[in-house]
Formats: sequence, structure tokens, C-alpha cells
Amino acid sequence: MTDLLNSEWLKLRSVRSTTYILLAITAALLGGVLVSFLMTADWDTSPPDLQQKFGSADPGMLVVPFTQFCLGVLGAMAITSEYGTGMIRTALVSVPQRKAFLVAKTLVVAGASLAIALMATLLAYQAGEWITGDRPRPISAYDSFADALPGLLANTASMVLLALVGMGLGFLLRSTAGALVSLCALLFVLPTLTLVLPEPWNERAYSVMLPVLAPQLSGDITNPLLSPLGAALTMVAYLIAAVGAGTIALLRRDA
Amino acid sequence: MIEVRQLTKRYRATRAVDGLSFEVKPGYVAGFLGPNGAGKSTTMRAILGLDRPTSGEALVDGRRYADLRRPMHHVGALIDAGAVHGGRSAYDHLRVLARSNGIKDTRVVATLEQVGLAGVAKRRVGSLSLGMKQRLGVAAALLGDPGVLLFDEPVNGLDPEGIRWIRHLMRGLAREGRTVLVSSHLMSEMALTADRVIVIGRGRLILESSMQDLQEKFRTDVLVRSPTPDALVSVLTAAGASTRSEDGALLVQGLDAPEIADLAALNGIRVHELTPRSASLEDAYLELTEESVEYRTKETAR
Repeated sequence: MTDLLNSEWLKLRSVRSTTYILLAITAALLGGVLVSFLMTADWDTSPPDLQQKFGSADPGMLVVPFTQFCLGVLGAMAITSEYGTGMIRTALVSVPQRKAFLVAKTLVVAGASLAIALMATLLAYQAGEWITGDRPRPISAYDSFADALPGLLANTASMVLLALVGMGLGFLLRSTAGALVSLCALLFVLPTLTLVLPEPWNERAYSVMLPVLAPQLSGDITNPLLSPLGAALTMVAYLIAAVGAGTIALLRRDA
Repeated sequence: MIEVRQLTKRYRATRAVDGLSFEVKPGYVAGFLGPNGAGKSTTMRAILGLDRPTSGEALVDGRRYADLRRPMHHVGALIDAGAVHGGRSAYDHLRVLARSNGIKDTRVVATLEQVGLAGVAKRRVGSLSLGMKQRLGVAAALLGDPGVLLFDEPVNGLDPEGIRWIRHLMRGLAREGRTVLVSSHLMSEMALTADRVIVIGRGRLILESSMQDLQEKFRTDVLVRSPTPDALVSVLTAAGASTRSEDGALLVQGLDAPEIADLAALNGIRVHELTPRSASLEDAYLELTEESVEYRTKETAR
């Protein structure tokens, strides 16, 4: 397994798409920092009654959904790039044990996205703290690191989940375009569509959408429909569905 | 050693391979021939575990490919030189494959030198010419120093120098006692490379024989008609030719038409017809596979 992990890790490192994804996340981070900075500057010059109505100047507001999508792309492309180029045939000839192949890829995608996600959330948090300094809530998102930690961890978990859902979709669909369209549907289209359902199904359906699982997991929103445990189970269900479907496709179908 | 036993692969309604059995032993180059769509690639993909056979089996060294641990040490395969990620450098591409089988980077460097790609090791695969990609594919096959090698249409798209290189390489590998199976749809190419041929059509075995036997069977001869065939036979036999009669004519092998004419004239034997007949291996092959050509143009120019 060490050999396979080594190989998969090198695969991920040695393609340009990984670099581009990291650059995109960095750009999102800088964008988030810029927005926070401008909000804070605006807050400083606003009268007190208006200051109360400000949202938090948290770069994470922009960084989290963007990184979720980027890591979804990373996970999907870890396998669709192989199907797209035909590399999958060369890869499966050198590693005919398909289960081991999938496990190695899953571990590498999970590990890499965990590191990237942690880095992105922590940098976003730290930048937000630097920008807002000792200003009070609501412009400062958190009172302390301990206060922020559950949210940061939940966001990190959701990003890793997205990477693995992307990978599962990649194994299932074998096409970059197909996997990315599905990711966009899951992240951006379906959540909006749930709102047109009749009461109370709209809220129920919305509560299990990928983008709102992290705040429910950390308990960071008021009146959540799902308990933290419920949110965690829903995330596990997504993981099992996506990776499971990908596994079946890999094991059953000819390469 | 490659053993294919009663291999059948069906894709919905079509049988790509239909009850195919053959063996390839170490020490010679086995040519795997058939027209386009005959099932050569499907058979190779089944041997390599990429496609699951509908029935039957394909074994390498007595085992199913999927059961091989670190298969690159047993089997090297060049299935499609284009089946690589174009964004990786040639060196990284080989390292990815090498690592998955516990092969050291020093071996990667040595293999790159062996195939003559050391100079372009850092270039992205996508920027390499087809010939270079083919060499990269060969390097990948050789990485684990395997005893069994499979090449699917290795000369496609190669220039004459590249073709000669790969031909030389395959013969060298066989001489070292390895099992070499190489597919092609060109008999002329196999005539120069292979020691034995396996000809298939429509997924079925048409012929398995040594190249020598095949050549023997379809050798060129000269058709001669003479009112005094017996006299001619004794003259020609004395000159070292072999003859047999067919439909009142003599089929002569071992002498060409001018030599036969000269001998006849010298001995005062009348000759009414003298027709050199060439059945090239290419013709033999076309004859063998005629029934099984999948895609045919309306008028075949032969």
C-alpha cells in the first residue's frame, strides 16, 4: 500500500491542474481578505447604529464555498484526468488490484485536501482576526480561537467531504465535464431548487444540502433543522453514496 | 508464457472475441495478426485484466493478471502510446508507474537512457512526438524488467528508424528468453519481426504456425506449360528446382522464369507458357482473413 500511496501522491503533485487549483484557492483567500479589509474600513467610518447592522468581516465567507468547490474539482480530476487521457489503462495495468487502487487514491485525495482545507480555513480565520483587530462583534466574526474552532473544523470537514464526493463522481462518470457539472448542481443549483418545494419540505430538503451541512455540524446557525450529529450522519451518507457508487463503477465496468 | 483458453468477450450483441485459444512461449516473437476489428486489442486487454472475459480465461505465467502482485515485474505492456497524461513530464510519468510497483528512481533513469529519451526526460509528455511517446511506452513496459511483453500495434505512426529500433528491440527481448507477443494488422511488418504468427479474424483463431511454415506454404513459384513436361522436369530437377504438376502445368520452385527459359532452350524443350507467380505473405494473409474482414470497401483493390 505504501507503494501505491507514493505513486498516487506523485500523480497528484506532478500535474499542473493541482497547481492551478492551489492558485485559485490562494486567489479566493486574497479576495476574501480584500473584502474583509474594505468592510472593516467601511465599518470604521460608519455611525454606531449602522455599525450594529454590519455582517462579520470574515474572509471565510468567500473562502469556504470557493475552496469546497476547488477541492471538489481536485478530487474529481484526480481520476477523470486519467479516464480523459487514457492514463487509466496504463495505471490499471501497473496496479490491477482495483480496490487497492481506489483506496490509495481516496487516502491521497483525503489527505491532500485535509491539509489544503485546514490551511485555507486557518489562514482565512487568522487574516480576519488581523483585519478586525480588537473591534467588537458583529464586524469581528469570533471572540476567541476557541469560539471559532468548531466552525473551522466543520468547514474543513465539509471541504474534505467535497473532495471525496468529487472523486466518487469522477470514478462514476469518468468525465471531467460530467463530474464538474454534477458538483455545481450539488453545491449551487439543488440548494436553490429546494426552496421552491412546498412547506415544510423546502426547509427539510434544504437542511441536507451540501453547503449548509458545515454550519449545522458546528451549531453555528440559529434554529438548525439538523443536530450536529444529524449533520455529521448526513455528511457520512454523502460520502458513502459518492465513493460507493464510484467503487461499484470501477470494480464492475471494463476500464 | 501466455495462455489464452476459450476466451470469449461479448459487448452487447457483438462478439469481439469468440472462443479463442492460443499459447505463447518464451524465446520467440509471436506476431498477433488480424484485420481491424478482429479482436486483437480486446484479447490483449483481457490478458491485462482491463476487460473481464465473458467466458474463458487468459493467464500469464499460469496466473490471472489481476492476481499478480507488482505486475510490472512479470509483464510489460505497451497498449496505447497515447494513453498517458500529457501534462506530466516523461520522467514523472515513469516514476508514477515505477513507484506503484516499488521500482527505484535509478531504474527509471536507466530505462529512459535505454530507450533514448534521457534528453527529453523533463519535457511534458504532451509535447513529445508520436515516436517519442512510443518509446516512452516501451520504457514503461521495460521498467520492471519483465519476462513477458505485450505490444499492441507498436509500429503505428513510427518513422522507418523507429520501426527498425522497435523491431530490433523485440527480437532482442525474445532472444533473452522473454515471451513477446506483438499485434499488428500488417503481415509485411510481422514477416520481418515475428518467428511465429497467430492469425485471427472475427475473434476466432484462423491459423497458428511458425513464420517459416507460413512462408513455405505460400512460396512463390513459376507456372510452366510444355508439351514435353517429363523432359523438362528432369532438366529442372537436375538444376536443383522442385516441381509438381497441377492441371497439366508444372509449378516450379527454386528457379526463376529466365533461368527456366534458358534451361529449356539449351535442352531444346518447347515451352508454351511461363508465368512467374508470387503469393506474397501479404496475399497469403489476405487470403486467410478474407472471410473475416469486418469493414470492407466495396471494391477492394488487390
